[in-house]
Amino acid sequence: MEKDEEISEDIKELVIARLGIMPSNYKLSIGTEGTFTKKELIEHVIANDKTGRQIAKMQLHFIKALTTGKFIDTLNKNE
Amino acid sequence: MNNSILVTRPKYDDGTEYLSAYALEVIKKAQEKFSVKDFEGKEAIKENVEKYLKNKNPKLLFLNGHGNESEIFGHKDKIIFSLTNINLLKDKITYARACFSANFLGHEAVKNNSGCFIGYIYPFSFWMDEERSATPLKDKVAGMFLNPSNEVVFSLLKGESARKADEKSKKMMIENMREILAMERKNEPGATGMLQILWDNYEGQIVLGNEDASL
Repeated sequence: MEKDEEISEDIKELVIARLGIMPSNYKLSIGTEGTFTKKELIEHVIANDKTGRQIAKMQLHFIKALTTGKFIDTLNKNE
Repeated sequence: MNNSILVTRPKYDDGTEYLSAYALEVIKKAQEKFSVKDFEGKEAIKENVEKYLKNKNPKLLFLNGHGNESEIFGHKDKIIFSLTNINLLKDKITYARACFSANFLGHEAVKNNSGCFIGYIYPFSFWMDEERSATPLKDKVAGMFLNPSNEVVFSLLKGESARKADEKSKKMMIENMREILAMERKNEPGATGMLQILWDNYEGQIVLGNEDASL
């Protein structure tokens, strides 16, 4: 979902689960979108709004880096 | 052109308060060797920045704040740079700690000149610990994200190239990712979420134009 498209239900569940394990005292600053508590982030993902889609994109970038091996390669080549 | 440095540090929300606090660390170091013009808070507006650029012609700009693909903002999201005045960045080294600035505006800044633009193709994001929000520099969570970005300018201040500055910043991000992975192995809460965001900053930070540019 590189384009600003809707978050599928499967991805929404995954993103919410990952946000759910963040400590409650942590907040995420996402530039002009603002700064959000865990609860607010989850609400945006559920609402499928611009901020929610941005959060999903960020998580999917990382999952892609994990599944393609790019993340591990990056860590290894810099040892 | 002289070796003076222009910094913008708007601060009117949580995000810009943190960026401003960490940018101040860079300013303190820069002042040991350079003349630094610090446009802080409500002083971070287009009129002030343009006037200084025209009169003093600084070599390095360190822009902190919000942004998008075609604009970089100052105080309360007022535009400082857009396509209408991007020519003012010609032949300069610009580091824009602002979301999406390297997607379009950065390319325009370095078109047909010897300047360099370091910025982000994704949002520049960071986790912060609300319990430390009154003292951002003591917030170890935010430091994982903001110290590597400060490293870009620390490296430039040493006379290193833009390419080297980017490399050193990313090396610090990787060191922090390893530290976060170690936290994850100890089941410390929040490690995975931190890793995801730091990876996004790592992938999103790019150098445009003359990568050999230096102070």
